[in-house]
Amino acid sequence: MMETLLFVSGGPLAWAGGKTPVAYPAQFWDQIFNIWLVIAVVIYLLVALPMIYFMAKYRYRKGVNEVGAHEEGSLGIEILWTVVPLIIVIYLATQSFANYTQQRTAPADSLPVKVQGMMWAWSFEYPNGKKSINDLYVPVGKPVKLLLTSTDVVHAFHIPEAKTMEDAVPGRVTTMWFQFNKTGDFRAFCREYCGTLHSMMLATIKVVSQEEFDKWLQQPS
Amino acid sequence: MQEAVAVQTPWYRASFKEWVLTTDHKKIAILYAVTSLVFFAVAGLMGMVIRLELTSPGMQYVSPDFYNYLLTGHGAVLLLWWAIAFWGAFTNFLIPLMIGARDVAFPRLNQLSYWFFFSASILVLITLIPSQNIKMMWTGYPPFSLHDGAGPTALYVFIIWLIAGSTLGTGVNFITTVLRMRAKGITLGGMNLMVHGLMASIVIQLLGVPAFVGAVTMLFLDKYIGTGFFNPAVGGDPILYQHLFWFYSHPAVYVMILPAFGVFSEVISTMSRKPIFGRKSMVIALWAIAILGFEVWAHHMFTSGMPDWLRIVMSYTTVLIAVPTGIKIFNWAATLHKGAIRFHTPMLFTLGGIFMFLIGGLTGIPLALPSFDIHVHDSHFVVGHFHYVLAMAVTFGAFSGAYFWYPKVTGRMFPEGLGKASFWLMLVGSNIFYFTQMMVGIAGMPRRYADYPAIPEWVKLNEIQTVGAFILAAGVLLTFVAWIRGLKGPRVERSPWGSPSLEWTTPSPPPPQNFDKLPVEVPPGWSPYHYGR
Ligand SMILES: [Cu+2]
Ligand SMILES: [Cu+2]
Repeated sequence: MMETLLFVSGGPLAWAGGKTPVAYPAQFWDQIFNIWLVIAVVIYLLVALPMIYFMAKYRYRKGVNEVGAHEEGSLGIEILWTVVPLIIVIYLATQSFANYTQQRTAPADSLPVKVQGMMWAWSFEYPNGKKSINDLYVPVGKPVKLLLTSTDVVHAFHIPEAKTMEDAVPGRVTTMWFQFNKTGDFRAFCREYCGTLHSMMLATIKVVSQEEFDKWLQQPS
Repeated sequence: MQEAVAVQTPWYRASFKEWVLTTDHKKIAILYAVTSLVFFAVAGLMGMVIRLELTSPGMQYVSPDFYNYLLTGHGAVLLLWWAIAFWGAFTNFLIPLMIGARDVAFPRLNQLSYWFFFSASILVLITLIPSQNIKMMWTGYPPFSLHDGAGPTALYVFIIWLIAGSTLGTGVNFITTVLRMRAKGITLGGMNLMVHGLMASIVIQLLGVPAFVGAVTMLFLDKYIGTGFFNPAVGGDPILYQHLFWFYSHPAVYVMILPAFGVFSEVISTMSRKPIFGRKSMVIALWAIAILGFEVWAHHMFTSGMPDWLRIVMSYTTVLIAVPTGIKIFNWAATLHKGAIRFHTPMLFTLGGIFMFLIGGLTGIPLALPSFDIHVHDSHFVVGHFHYVLAMAVTFGAFSGAYFWYPKVTGRMFPEGLGKASFWLMLVGSNIFYFTQMMVGIAGMPRRYADYPAIPEWVKLNEIQTVGAFILAAGVLLTFVAWIRGLKGPRVERSPWGSPSLEWTTPSPPPPQNFDKLPVEVPPGWSPYHYGR
């Protein structure tokens, strides 16, 4: 299913090295990161190297180079360095648009989990009414859709492995999705400042096998 | 007016009473500069405590609450008292001199503006009292800011009101001055790029500050009168505050950087002995940034819960800003071509500032892309990025400008060796610091964390940052020493750097009436960048 999603956007998985990330949708972030990094480094060198060259070549030398040339501009080159950057940034925004749609659209078969942020803990509620505090149990290989809200101030739920986040806002329900491809314990962080213990507002994502998850889900809260 | 009498005593011999009662734009400029530098030092020290605390996981030096106060103070004070107010000193000192005017249009209003700012400064000092610590970050997002744990929100609101009074007074004053009091022969297009940079910054403030004042006023009413603008418990919308706040606070970034662009242009042209390359496109780009800056605010809200379509729209508008910004950088680079470049201290800071702004700009582009922001929003990547812009491009610009006009303001030359040493320490220190800060952000470390789990990669990167921060602080200290020692330095002529711009045609320091002969007139075809002919 993920693979089909990926081909829609032109095969970024292949671009990112073909490895399955620990968690989806991290591959979309990896791709936009790589594209940006290449463009940024090239632009940096295209500007910095000539500048350093000019600084060395046209430095003041007594009796040799005391006054600069009278050069006021050049229409051609000014148009060039207006149009080329314009094309580059429009491309970047469009590539981001394509990736973002996938980062934000939860697969149809996602497991919905309600999340409530509060000062300073996270509570999770599953479709069968089962609840847990600060431990988010999820089955491996299964997409999960979080429905976030808050009881007090704005918080945000960030999952480093999935490279995705969204704010938990009181009075609203916001959404995000992810899927872990590996079992184990992973951290989730509150990413919106929420007071004294903001930096302690961590949750543990417990990624377990489907059988283990089903067993856990049936135990009373 | 009584002060038009030709008193020839320079500003540094003025009595205390003269300082308090002065309406002279040059003295007011010095008042802004000194106030600003004091707060720059205080907020810088707050930053050093923050940096020390983050060096290793666990709480070592301060409590989480005090840490949150330090973060709030460091952010708010460096933005308002340094990155904005220090340019107030340049606005006051340079604009009348650069346009050949005797003073500003409304000297009394100018005096009032400063004392509003001074009153706000006193209120900031009150927050140092433990019970008055504001702990809601400079952004003051509700509902947290409506909560007791945020500290005295009212104090924050009063500070913003006073600052706004100062800003709006200055805005009206200098717009009038520039439109009505230019010397004969100076057209709007022919003004120094520094004047354009300062004016664009002032126009942004005049348009944007009212939204900010409105937002914090509603915050005040919500917290103390019980209205429900932003309080979801009574049907309000916290995201509305974020929109109003960023509608000014994004453009505020340009309030801080456009004057630095002005400095870069003045210094690079003077020190290369070349007219600025593509001057017309420089002016257009500057104003394009000022206007575009108002259509991009919601890029601060890509994960806020606002509709996805709005995130995409704001992503496109935001990346467009890269175009005029790029034009400016390319023009500066081209100005060096075939120049005769003198590497005096102001030039080092300008060149360093441009290189660092290039990094700040290139790391800003991905933050305009929601698919990238979704992982690094509110991480140290953002913090590193905006320190490249604010602590490096803006601060290097401000230092460059201060060194450049130092001989004009004081009539004396600072010790060049100290200035250059300060530059290299600051350049090396801040690159070590802020580059690793971006890296730890990519590695996932959230911002505004008093403490963090002992992830080995994070710990390593935080230790490196602290080393960089100390080198940076040593560099800043050397500049303070250079500026103090310079007051006893050798006397200078009217134009020690060889610039033909108007402010350099008058004695250093300028006499109270600014010019030898009033009214000032410039010959046809005059340009402040008259080089190479
Ligand atoms: Cu939180
Ligand atoms: Cu912004």
